[in-house]
Amino acid sequence: MSTALYQHFPILAVMVLFLGAFLIVIFGNVKTLRHLIALLSVTVSLGLLIALVKPVMLEGEIIAYWMGARATAGGYAIGIAMEVDALSLFFGLLVATAVFVSCVYSIQYMSHDDNVGQYYTLFLMLAGGVMGLVLSGDLFNMFIMVEILTFAAVALTAFRNTAKGALEAAFKYLVVGCIGSTCILTGTVMLYAQAHTLNFAQLSALLPGNMNTATVVAFALLYIGFSTKAFIVPFHPLAADAHGAAPASISVLISGVLTKSGLYAIIRLSYFLFQTMELGTMQFLLVFMGSMSMFICVTMALAQHDFKRLLAFHSISQIGYVLTAVGLCTAMGVSSGLYHAMNHTLFKGLLFLAAGAVLHQTGTTDLDKLGGLSKKMPWTTAFFLVGAFSISGIPPFNGFASKWMVYQSIYLKAVESGNIGFLFATIIALVTSVLTLASFVKVSQSVFFGRLPKEYENVTEVPWGMRLAMCLFAVLCVVTGLFPDLVTRYLTQPAADAVFNASGYINAMMGSGYAESVMSVPAMAPAVTYVEVGVWQPVSWLLILVITLLAITIVAIGGQYDRVSESVSAPMDSKYDLFFGGEESVYSQVGGEDLFWGFKHNWRGYFSFMHKLHSGIVNDYSLWAVVALALVTLYMLIVF
Amino acid sequence: MSIVISALQYLGYILIFPGFLFCFLVGLLLSGIDRKLVAKMQKRVGPPVLQPFYDFFKLCGKETIVPAAASKTVFLMAPLVGLAALVVLQLFIPIFQFTAFSGMADIIVILYLLLIPALAQILGGAASGSPYAGVGLSREMVTIISCELPLVLVLLAVAKTVGSATGEGLSFSFASIAAYQAANGSLILRLSMIPAAIAMLMVIPGETGNHPFDAAEAETEICEGMLAEYSGAPLGIFKLSHAIKMLTLTSLFVALFLGGIGSGIAQLVALMGLTGPAANGLTVLLGAIVTVLLCIVLTVVSISFVHAVTARLKIEQIFKFYWTVVSGLALISLVLAWYGL
Repeated sequence: MSTALYQHFPILAVMVLFLGAFLIVIFGNVKTLRHLIALLSVTVSLGLLIALVKPVMLEGEIIAYWMGARATAGGYAIGIAMEVDALSLFFGLLVATAVFVSCVYSIQYMSHDDNVGQYYTLFLMLAGGVMGLVLSGDLFNMFIMVEILTFAAVALTAFRNTAKGALEAAFKYLVVGCIGSTCILTGTVMLYAQAHTLNFAQLSALLPGNMNTATVVAFALLYIGFSTKAFIVPFHPLAADAHGAAPASISVLISGVLTKSGLYAIIRLSYFLFQTMELGTMQFLLVFMGSMSMFICVTMALAQHDFKRLLAFHSISQIGYVLTAVGLCTAMGVSSGLYHAMNHTLFKGLLFLAAGAVLHQTGTTDLDKLGGLSKKMPWTTAFFLVGAFSISGIPPFNGFASKWMVYQSIYLKAVESGNIGFLFATIIALVTSVLTLASFVKVSQSVFFGRLPKEYENVTEVPWGMRLAMCLFAVLCVVTGLFPDLVTRYLTQPAADAVFNASGYINAMMGSGYAESVMSVPAMAPAVTYVEVGVWQPVSWLLILVITLLAITIVAIGGQYDRVSESVSAPMDSKYDLFFGGEESVYSQVGGEDLFWGFKHNWRGYFSFMHKLHSGIVNDYSLWAVVALALVTLYMLIVF
Repeated sequence: MSIVISALQYLGYILIFPGFLFCFLVGLLLSGIDRKLVAKMQKRVGPPVLQPFYDFFKLCGKETIVPAAASKTVFLMAPLVGLAALVVLQLFIPIFQFTAFSGMADIIVILYLLLIPALAQILGGAASGSPYAGVGLSREMVTIISCELPLVLVLLAVAKTVGSATGEGLSFSFASIAAYQAANGSLILRLSMIPAAIAMLMVIPGETGNHPFDAAEAETEICEGMLAEYSGAPLGIFKLSHAIKMLTLTSLFVALFLGGIGSGIAQLVALMGLTGPAANGLTVLLGAIVTVLLCIVLTVVSISFVHAVTARLKIEQIFKFYWTVVSGLALISLVLAWYGL
C-alpha cells in the first residue's frame, strides 16, 4: 500500500498542537514568540485538515494510519491507530476552525491577564486533546484524550481564579468530569475484557453480533461518560458554571469544541461500535435526551440574568437539536444534525466572543446592570445580532437552514414511523426555537439596547483583533446560511454517508473483506437517500428581500423619511429626551430577569421546581450523574 | 431580451402585485374597514374608511425625532426591514394556484418570516431606549411565544393532512397544499380541520396585536409600548406594517384553509371560453379579488368583531389563553390528522 503524503496529515494536525503547547512552556515568557507559536500551530493544524477535505470528503477515502507502521498481529489490531473518515474530518474541521478563531481573539482578550504563557499551553493542550479524540482510531486513545482535554478545560475554567465562583465552577467540573472519565475508562476496560481489542474498526466488527450483559453495561457506561463531555441533560448545570467563570475564548472551545467531542463519541459508539441505531428503542433514548436538553435548557436560559450563563444553557439546548436529529437514524436527520452541529460551533462561538467583548470593556456580564452599549460598541452589537439571529433561526442566517432541515426530518420520521413521540419532539423543537429568540431579545434589550447606565458612559469599542475574530465567525454564519446546498453537498452529506458506512470503516482499517467475514454484512455501503419535504432557496430569497428593501427605502426617502432631527448641542432640547409621562428622566429599565414576566408567571410552578432542583451543590450533581447512569444501564439492559 | 422581460415581470411582482403596492392598498383598506366597523358596532360614527391612508401620508410629512438615548441606525432601519419582510411574505403566500415566487419557501419558512416584522418592531423599540418600549417589547415577545405554539400545531396538522392525502407522508410546500385543495376542495370542509381553522382565526388577532391581545401596545397604559418614541415616517411605516400584517395573516388563512375556491374560479374562466395568457391573467385577477373579499370577511370575523366585544387581556392571560384553549383546539386537529381522519 503506497502511503500518500496526506495520510500523515491527521497525526501531524494533532501533534502540531501539542508541540505548540510544549514550546510555549519553554519560550512562553516572550510575548511575541508566544503569540507566534500559538497562532502558527493552530493555523498549521487547520491547514492540514483543510488539505484533507479533497481526498476524504470529496473522494470518500478513509484514512487508516498506524503509528510506527504497526498493524494487526494474530488477527488483533494492536498498536496506536488513527482513522479518519468524513465524520472524523467533519468534526476535526469544526475543532480546528473554532480553535483558530479563538486563538486570534485571545491575543488581545487575554492581554491584561497574568501568566498568559500558561494559558496558551493549556489552550493548545485542550485543542490537541479534542483533535486527537475526533481523529483517533481506538478507544483507549480516546480515553487518554478525554483525560487531557478534561483537565485542560478544568484548569482553564479556573484560569481567572480571582474571579468569584471560578474555583467553585472548576471544582464542580472536575468532580463530575471525573465521574464521566471513570465511566469511560470502566467501559473501555469491560470492552477489552470481552473483545480483546480496543481498535474501533475491529470492535465495530466484533461487537454487534456478540452483545452480552457486559458489553451492554459497557455501552451504558461509555454513553454516560461521553454525555458528561457533551453536557447534555442532566449534566447541564456544569456547563453553566464553567462558561460563567471561564474566559470567553475558552467558552468558545468548551461550547464549540468540547461538547462536539462528546457528540462525536456518542455518534461513533451508537452507529459504529454497537450499531444499535436501527433499534427504535435506541432512537428513542437519543431523541428523548435531545428533546429534554432542548427544552429544559432553553427554559433555564430564560431564567438567567448573567450573559454568559444564559449562553451556556443555550449551548446545551442547541446540542439537544443535534442529538435529536442524529438520533433519528435517517440520512436527512444525521445530515441536518451535523449541519446544526457546525452552525452551533459558529454562532455559539460568535455569541461567546461578543459576551467576552462586553466583559472585556465593562467588567461585568450581569444583564441587570448593563444596557445601551450599542451606541458605544456598534461593531460588537452588529456581530452579536448576527449570532442572535442565527441561533434563533431567523432566515436567512445559518441557524434557520439547519433547524429547518431538523424539523423536516423529525416530522417525516414521526409520520413514517407512526410514533407519536417524534411528533412531540417536533413540537418541542419548534417551540424551543421561539423561546430561544425570546431570550436573545432579552439579551439585546438588556445589554445592547435600552438605556446606558451612567458608569458605562466611557466604554469604548474592543480592539481590532477581537473584532476580527468576531467578524470571521459572523461571515461564516452568513455564508453557511446562504448556501445550504453547498454545505450539505460538500460537508454534511459526506459525513452522513460515512455514518451509515460502518463496513467501509471496518474494512479500511482491517483490510477489505474483514467486515463481511466477521459480521456477514453486505460489503457495499447502504444506499443513503436524502428526502426533502419542503422548499427553501435562501439566495434567491435574499435577492427578493434586498430588492424589496431597496424599493421601500427609495419610496421612504422620497417621502422625506430622511428628514431626521437629532440633538447636536450639549444643553439638550427636551424634545430629544425620552418620554416619561411628564416625570423627570431617570434611569429606569426592566431588569433582564423580569423581562418575560407574563410567560414566567404562568410557569411559576415549573420554574420554582427547576430552581430548587439546580441547587448548585456538587453532591447533587454527582448524584444526578449516578442516577442517570443507573437509569440508562437499566434501560439498555431491558431493551437489548 | 427574454431575461429583461422576466426581470421586469419579477420587479412588477415585487413592486406592484402581489408585492408592495397591493399590500399597501389592501392592508390600509382592511385597517380602515376594521376601524369603521368597530365604531359602528360600538354606536360611534367612526373615521372614514380611507382614514388610514390620510394618517399614513400625514405621518410621512412630519419631522422624525431621534431621541438622544437611541441607537440611530437600528432605530431608523427597523421599520423598513419589517415592512420589507412583510412584502416578501406576501410574495410567497399563494393566491389560490398562483404564486409570484414559487419553489422558494414553505410553511415553516413562513412561520419564521412572520417573526421578522415583530422582531423589527422589538429591536426598533429597544433601540429607542424608552422604558415604555422595554415593557412593550417584553409583552410583544410573550405574545409571540403565545401564538407560536398554536400556529405550529395548525401548520403541522395541515402538513400531515395534505401529505397523507397526496401520499408523500407529509408536505410543507404551499404548491402541494394548493394543488390538494384544488383537487379535493377546501381543507376547512374536512371535519378534522375545523378546530385548526378556528384556532387559526384566534391566532390572527394575536399575531397582528389587535384587541383583546394588544397588551404590547396598550395605548392607555404604556403609550403604545415599542412605538412610544417613534414619530414621523418611521411611525407611519410601523402603522402600515401593522395594517399589512392583517392582510398577510388573513391571506395565509385563505391559502391554508379556503384554497378550494380557486378551482371554482378556474372553472369559471374555462366556462367563459378563454385560453392562454388571457385566461391565466383573468384567473389571477379574479383570484386576487376573491382573496381580498375573503380577507375582508376574515378581518371582520376575527379582528373587528372580537375587538368590539372584548376588553384588553393582561399579558399572562393572553399566554394562558393561547397555550390552553387555542392550542387545545389545534391539538385536536393534529391528533385527528395523525390518525388519518
